[in-house]
Amino acid sequence: MTTTTPSITDQPALTSASERWRRWFYRRRQTVEAWVILLPVLVYYFIFNITPVLLNLFVSFTRWNGISGAPQWVGLANYLVYLKPPYPLIIFNTALFAFSALIIQTTLAFFIAVLLNQKVFGRGFHRALWYVPTLTSAAIMAQIAVIFISPYDGILNAILKSLGQPPVIWTIEATWMRIFIIAFSIWRGVGGPVVIFLAALQGIHPELYEAAMVDGAAGRQLLRYITLPLLRPMILFVLVTGVIGGFQIFEVVLLMTKGGPQNQTNVMLLQIYNDAFVNTNLGVASAGAVIMALLLLWFSITSIRLMSRSQEAP
Amino acid sequence: MQRRRLTRDRILIQLLLITGSLVMAYPLIFGALASVSTLESYYESVWLPAPIPFTPDNYLIILSTQGQVIGWILNTLIRIAWYILVPGLIAVLCGYVFARLQFKGRDTIFILLLSSLMMPGIVYFVPTYVMLARWPLAGGNDLFGQGGFGFVNRWPALLLPGLVNAFYIFLLRQTYFSIPVDFEEAARIDGATTWRVLYHVYLPMLKPAITVMVIFQSVAIWNDYLWPLIAVGGNEAIWPLALGFQRIMFSGSSLKGQPGGAVILDYPFAFALATLATVPMILLFLVLQRYFVEGVQGFAIKG
Repeated sequence: MTTTTPSITDQPALTSASERWRRWFYRRRQTVEAWVILLPVLVYYFIFNITPVLLNLFVSFTRWNGISGAPQWVGLANYLVYLKPPYPLIIFNTALFAFSALIIQTTLAFFIAVLLNQKVFGRGFHRALWYVPTLTSAAIMAQIAVIFISPYDGILNAILKSLGQPPVIWTIEATWMRIFIIAFSIWRGVGGPVVIFLAALQGIHPELYEAAMVDGAAGRQLLRYITLPLLRPMILFVLVTGVIGGFQIFEVVLLMTKGGPQNQTNVMLLQIYNDAFVNTNLGVASAGAVIMALLLLWFSITSIRLMSRSQEAP
Repeated sequence: MQRRRLTRDRILIQLLLITGSLVMAYPLIFGALASVSTLESYYESVWLPAPIPFTPDNYLIILSTQGQVIGWILNTLIRIAWYILVPGLIAVLCGYVFARLQFKGRDTIFILLLSSLMMPGIVYFVPTYVMLARWPLAGGNDLFGQGGFGFVNRWPALLLPGLVNAFYIFLLRQTYFSIPVDFEEAARIDGATTWRVLYHVYLPMLKPAITVMVIFQSVAIWNDYLWPLIAVGGNEAIWPLALGFQRIMFSGSSLKGQPGGAVILDYPFAFALATLATVPMILLFLVLQRYFVEGVQGFAIKG
């Protein structure tokens, strides 16, 4: 910015006008700049973030195929659908997959991170290997998983056969398919928590352990009374984001089981997808999305409240 | 005694870690080996396919006879560039606004933006699809969005949603807070404008946070499947890679014109596609790993 030195030949009125503008801008600079940036962002946000949520809420109270005609108001009818079979089973499956994968992968990630935090050879290599599955495509790896469990020419049955065991027709047994879906979720989901926990562990001052060891604490006690409490905020973060992610399980179920056999592995996102784009019943689909949002909101608030309460207690 | 025990513990830990890492990597190693095996040696193998004789045929077929595949990769790269540049620019600017500028209503607006993080993606999918299908004056639609297909199965459906990302705005805002304000003040005294302050003072110091964003966005868009399936499922030409690859995975036999393709599935071909889809993201991660770990570390330690 070039500032012109005022000379006596300048007309006083003009100088004061530009000067006034400069002063005004100087005083209001932050407000002006903020709104120049925020205005387009907020307009976009209104169109693509707020409107869809409101539209979704509105459609959830209507009957609409989304193609022709106007939505018809039906009140709570779409929500009542979620009380009739198979919908409760679908919510149960979603929660089952999300929570079992979450508990196993968080525990596993915690111990792997503790092990990696020792002075071990090839720490970066191990960390990268644990994180790599997270970088893969859920859809493509789910399709690969289909090859592993294929009943006749699958890899798992080839291994069983080589061990002298009879092959298992995995795909018709709900229990097996549930186990595979959970295992797949853990495989793709464990890397993030490992990296986060390891980073948090490396931020703990070694003096803390040394002080505790001087006081006679060892092995398990160090883990219980120093590591675990210090990692609590990160564990909370991993749990809350993990549930939000876990509830949105979709690709593996779509490509591995299509929700079968008899909805035993069906999940909310797949059902919402089917309701919306296969059955063209947008009302029920939107109601499902609202129910999911409320469930996750309730879970996040509860766990944050629980964790902060237990933190206050000595 | 003590020393021997320590050595024993170390070996035990190392064994545990190696076993774990091998289990994690097993499907990928299996896939990489299978992708260069012939169909015969693949079906003879059990635990790991032996690529003897070694054959790059699957990759050659994917890259040559299927011109589509190159198109899908290009589509994905265009999306990645777009979804790094636009949300990145917005996050850098908005992070500055929320961290450094004083104005009325700042915190209210920030919380309004953050509230979108509470919503699972599915809440947006159905209504966004409807909005794009009913977009006024697009794809044969009239002023009221009736009569045509709007943006469904067209490029805008792949580029319009999700440009304001509250998570990255939050991440950048936190990073601005970690930079002492003295740098900006010094530059201001030298007469720098806001633009110059952002470009010359802050941008270099935001590098670790931006790298985290680049990795997350690249991986998310590279692997994006559900939204493209909903929005452009009917237009093969603009499919992104994850959708396209998944769709042709089990069509290796027919692409090679083998007889009996319906009976014996060409799994090595599927593994080649999967490997091709996986390796670029692994390389990206390895190249940027240092920054990535720094970024996560900053986040994990500050809580």
